[in-house]
Amino acid sequence: MSATRFTLNGGEVEARSAPAARLTQVLREEFGLTGTKVGCDAGDCGACTVLLDGEPVCACLTAVGQVEGARVETIEGLGRASEVTRRLQESFLAHGAAQCGICTPGMLVAATHLLERTPHPTEQEAMDAIGGVLCRCTGYRKIVAAVCAAGTPVPHEETPTAGAAVGARLRRLDGRRKVEGTDIFGADEAPPDCLLLRAVRSPYHRARFRFGDLEGFLKAHPGIHRVLTARDVPGVNCYGVIPPFADQPVFAVEEARFRGEAVAAVVGESAAVEALDLAPFPVEWQELPPLTTMDAALADDAPLIHPGRPQNVLTRGRVVRGDVEAGLAQADLVVESRFETGFIEHAYIEPEAGFARRVGDRIEVQVSTQAPHHHRDDIAKILGISPEAVRILPTAVGGGFGSKLDMSVQPFVALAAWLLRRPVRMVWSRPESMMASTKRHPARMRSRIGATRDGRLVAIDFEADFNTGAYSSWGPTVANRVPVHASGPYYVPHCRARSRAIHTNLVPAGAFRGFGVPQLTLAQEQLMDELAEKLGMDALEFRILNALRPDQPTATGQVLGAGCGIRQCFEALRPQWRKRREAARRFNEQNAAGVLRRGVGLAGMWYGCGNTSMPNPSTMRVGLKANGRIALHQGAVDIGQGSNTVIAQILADALGAPIGCIDLLPADTDITPDCGKTSASRQTFVSGKAAELAGRQLRAEILRQANAGEGARLSFEEGRVTVQEGDHERVLWLESLPLDARGYVLSAEATFDPPTTPLDADGQGDPYAVYGFGAHLAEVEVDLELGTTKLIGLIAAHDVGRAVNPMLIEGQIEGGAAQGLGMALMEEFIPGRGENLHDYLIPSAGDMPKIEFVLIEDAAPVGPFGAKGIGEQALIPTAPAIFNAIYDAAGVRLRRAPATPDRLRAAIKALAR
Amino acid sequence: MHPFSLERPRDLAGAFASGAQAGRNDAPIEFIAGGTDMVQLLQEHVRRPDRLVSLSGLLDATIELSPEGLRIGAAATMADTAAHPAVLEGFPVIAEALLASASPQVRNQATIGGNLLQRTRCPYFRDVGYAACNKRAPGSGCSALGGETRWNAVLGTSQSCIAAHASDLAVALVALDPVVELRSASGQRTVPLAEFHRLPGETPHIETVLEPGEVVAGILVPASPIARRSHYLKVRDRASFEFALVSAAVGLDLEDGIIRDAHVALGGVGTKPWRVPEVEAALSGAALEEAALRQAAALATQGAEPRGGNAFKIELMQRAIVRAIQTAGARA
Ligand SMILES: Cc1cc2nc3c(=O)[nH]c(=O)nc-3n(C[C@H](O)[C@H](O)[C@H](O)COP(=O)(O)OP(=O)(O)OC[C@H]3O[C@@H](n4cnc5c(N)ncnc54)[C@H](O)[C@@H]3O)c2cc1C
Ligand code: SF4
Ligand code: FES
Ligand code: FES
Repeated sequence: MSATRFTLNGGEVEARSAPAARLTQVLREEFGLTGTKVGCDAGDCGACTVLLDGEPVCACLTAVGQVEGARVETIEGLGRASEVTRRLQESFLAHGAAQCGICTPGMLVAATHLLERTPHPTEQEAMDAIGGVLCRCTGYRKIVAAVCAAGTPVPHEETPTAGAAVGARLRRLDGRRKVEGTDIFGADEAPPDCLLLRAVRSPYHRARFRFGDLEGFLKAHPGIHRVLTARDVPGVNCYGVIPPFADQPVFAVEEARFRGEAVAAVVGESAAVEALDLAPFPVEWQELPPLTTMDAALADDAPLIHPGRPQNVLTRGRVVRGDVEAGLAQADLVVESRFETGFIEHAYIEPEAGFARRVGDRIEVQVSTQAPHHHRDDIAKILGISPEAVRILPTAVGGGFGSKLDMSVQPFVALAAWLLRRPVRMVWSRPESMMASTKRHPARMRSRIGATRDGRLVAIDFEADFNTGAYSSWGPTVANRVPVHASGPYYVPHCRARSRAIHTNLVPAGAFRGFGVPQLTLAQEQLMDELAEKLGMDALEFRILNALRPDQPTATGQVLGAGCGIRQCFEALRPQWRKRREAARRFNEQNAAGVLRRGVGLAGMWYGCGNTSMPNPSTMRVGLKANGRIALHQGAVDIGQGSNTVIAQILADALGAPIGCIDLLPADTDITPDCGKTSASRQTFVSGKAAELAGRQLRAEILRQANAGEGARLSFEEGRVTVQEGDHERVLWLESLPLDARGYVLSAEATFDPPTTPLDADGQGDPYAVYGFGAHLAEVEVDLELGTTKLIGLIAAHDVGRAVNPMLIEGQIEGGAAQGLGMALMEEFIPGRGENLHDYLIPSAGDMPKIEFVLIEDAAPVGPFGAKGIGEQALIPTAPAIFNAIYDAAGVRLRRAPATPDRLRAAIKALAR
Repeated sequence: MHPFSLERPRDLAGAFASGAQAGRNDAPIEFIAGGTDMVQLLQEHVRRPDRLVSLSGLLDATIELSPEGLRIGAAATMADTAAHPAVLEGFPVIAEALLASASPQVRNQATIGGNLLQRTRCPYFRDVGYAACNKRAPGSGCSALGGETRWNAVLGTSQSCIAAHASDLAVALVALDPVVELRSASGQRTVPLAEFHRLPGETPHIETVLEPGEVVAGILVPASPIARRSHYLKVRDRASFEFALVSAAVGLDLEDGIIRDAHVALGGVGTKPWRVPEVEAALSGAALEEAALRQAAALATQGAEPRGGNAFKIELMQRAIVRAIQTAGARA
């Protein structure tokens, strides 16, 4: 086999891989240059962008044989050799342009090419240059800003002094390795002698299956060491994120319940497994009629997907307050509508990946995950060993948005490594990820809302069915969370909200930013507009009139008392609401003969932070080291949202230490206590609070040692802490002090579990300790003839309690808004079709307008320094605001998302008739 | 990925001798140029050739303007073609179609020859999980018939296949009446682009008139007033790198607001790059007025066969034609 010679990052190299091997593969596996990422292997995401003879290309579409004699440059080489790249890296850090960081190397390579030719690009030029790289986290705006600003040197960051970390626009503490391409994601590392595992998946939505001659298959395939099936699972062949509902097998037994479900796996030497054509794998399928719609699943004669779940209903949710029928009867006006949404794919740029290895009688799994401790427990059950015998080492997570709360590769690699006593790795392809990972629940909603003539909401009657797919995943959470939120951020005396999660033979629907609340809000906020219009009221003033006050009960009877900033959010939008409506009207008048129409729309939202009426504690450990530095055992997995940074900021201020003296110990179930899952917008709030408590404890401990009072100032230096109180100064010499059981001079551990109460049969109680609030104003331009919609402006007002790091919050809002835009205009996953990133569309750089922010800080007393969550909130109001804006522009209300050109045209045509 | 050997012949003669054939989905030996479509097809096992023959460095990549018109070498990249001053000046529809295609990275790699021979985006064709696809596996049936058809064609379809041709460039080009230069061991021949792609008929797996061992060497586009006043409009769900739901390429020869001659081609709706001569005939002599344009555009739907999910294209393609003509007409 001939070697391919080319120049790689300035040096001559010879690639031994076959000439047909993809350049991504060769760079990553043969040369160890994992800064070049793989998001799709299909040219769709641009994460693999490298320079080939100076031009950006997709390394995944390049066979290495084609680069013979050429010059290839990757992020690693550019970071060393190019001044422009280095400036871009600084600029990305300063602007918060890297969140999870998986798209960052590709962005930087593409931008380097632009800046080398155009040192001071315009926004459009920057957008065009990065137009071929997808980002699911940032909404692109900060990336564009960073590229435009990189022409001039970036000023050095001024690190905040002690006590001033909370509220600072601090750069991410883990940012540098993201911009250098050295952060380790799920697919970036594996032991040298690692085996590779691939799953055999059902090609049918529902099928019975029988294996043929597995032994013969093994014999016929040298290099394949083992075939695994359900029979090989030593413990229980079952897992799930909510233990009482756990129902998902590692390998299906006899019947596959959705297309993409694993029935077996092959494990062997990498090359052999990669080259393996699974078509002749000895499995015989008998396709069965699948239940692919909720109606089919609910039918009386429908087969049960899980025995014991009659009618295929997984769970029901219910919140009842007041007397809805009486309320509606007493309303002067009642509006009613139905609304439907489809599956939505998380489309993080990093497909699921990781490896496991057996270390004596323990198993270690290094994986991209949002829920390390939970996965530890599930792996233990599957292997039939104790949780202590399992160690989960989360890698950097290249986007999660909820889906990496469920296990993906974990059970497979753990099982294989356990049985074979060899490290085993699994990397999902993009189609595999889209086929098998959880989705946002499709919803079918019906709602009636009544108000009095003077514009006061009196009653809401809401019903929703959620298609939860073949397994429970987060179905119960969606079913429970949605009714609680059905009233929206308004005071509604009579409320009845019911929901069901229904099984079908489709991909499991799970957690996706907002747990059903985005779907709900899409339905409800459009109805609010309809109501205001019929009442002859301004849509904003109507919402302000009804906005929940801190002294009013929610639909579950909870009185928030404080931290209820919805009214401020709406009021903050008032000036722009008037101005932009007026501008849109003028535009439409002036262009009456044309085909473009502008419109402005609004939507409000609220969202309870943390689990619904369930304990969800986080524990943080901090330790003072003999060298005077602070160790933070930070187990709240950072999936790009910034918990590594935000939690350190909170700790710094609680402790009264400069943030620079904190050393982060990343999540690892052996060394970081359980911080729960990175979900439900709970990490800043819950884990942040635990960090605050731990920080205050450690501070108290230090003060006690120094006999000083609460007001003392601490300074941390090599080997000592100086405690200053007035003129008094006391020095603790750390090296002379004994170490405690945790190995620190002094340490503290604190747990915080937000105070909630269970909900009764009518859903009454305090399900969340705090709620986040927000409102978006969207401005769109609709092409009446082609049916296309462009978002041209967005203003996002959010009550975040306290903005611990405004730059990171803006990043969450922009990223959330981009996902909301996708949900509104282009995203719908159809199981079995378009399992890739060119048929399933997510917004690209050119789709995102500039976003303006208003951050309201209505402190939540229980939160750390008053902070609440923002992770999910940001996404919720975007899509309904866009739908309301489309109505304002074109006069049509769609009853189904997304508003694609064909649907919009059909509605416009129907209106004209 | 499907295992295959990648060969790099030293010269064109070697490439011809290989007997490789593009544009036929059952050919055992196939060419690869930029690889942007081919690598993906191999990875998904959609194409399973035994040998791949690389055309890298064998074909010319020059773009030249001569009195006969514009010649684009088959190896020219999409990016270089889109940025070429002669293209921008005299053939804007080509540059616009290219810039509306794929992503900057893909355009840097992909060649013009490969673009014309890229495979359909019919999701069933690209997913071997669906056994039935006549284009991929001759005689196996068609999963799109009776399936999701949003991405498929309404014009030129057959009972065997309704896949839309995916190339934006080919649509832009076909509006300008170019010829394709083909070369093989037995010499050179030229074929009008309009006759280069075949209708699916009973044999959708044979997509072009290429013979074994024959390559596309270049494209010759006549210069004309039509080409100068031309425009490409692409309707899609998002701002960049997505294939067209519907697109329209138009070129106009205008005099005093009256259309002397018009060329109109459609994308996203035809099983091959689709010219609409009926529309062109109706436009000739018409004024640039909405009503007249609409009337003419309505003729594009002759013979169209919508199937469920793609029915919206019938109306959308008419509107796209009207809009594209208006935009081109408004150009100086
Ligand atoms: C993410 C992505 C988005 C895309 N979006 C668009 C889009 O919006 N619009 C659009 O039009 N296209 C789009 N494309 C398709 C792209 O334009 C084609 O992949 C590209 O033009 C193919 O060129 P290539 O040189 O890479 O061909 P290859 O992949 O190397 O080859 C493709 C085919 O052409 C044959 N071939 C190549 N050169 C010759 C020749 N000279 N003679 C004979 N046969 C030849 C090969 O045998 C092969 O069958 C997209 C592609 C990707 C990956
Ligand atoms: S339309 Fe053509 S390409 Fe698509 S499935 Fe049918 S035969 Fe295959
Ligand atoms: S990995 Fe190459 S484009 Fe996605
Ligand atoms: S930061 Fe871009 S994908 Fe996560």
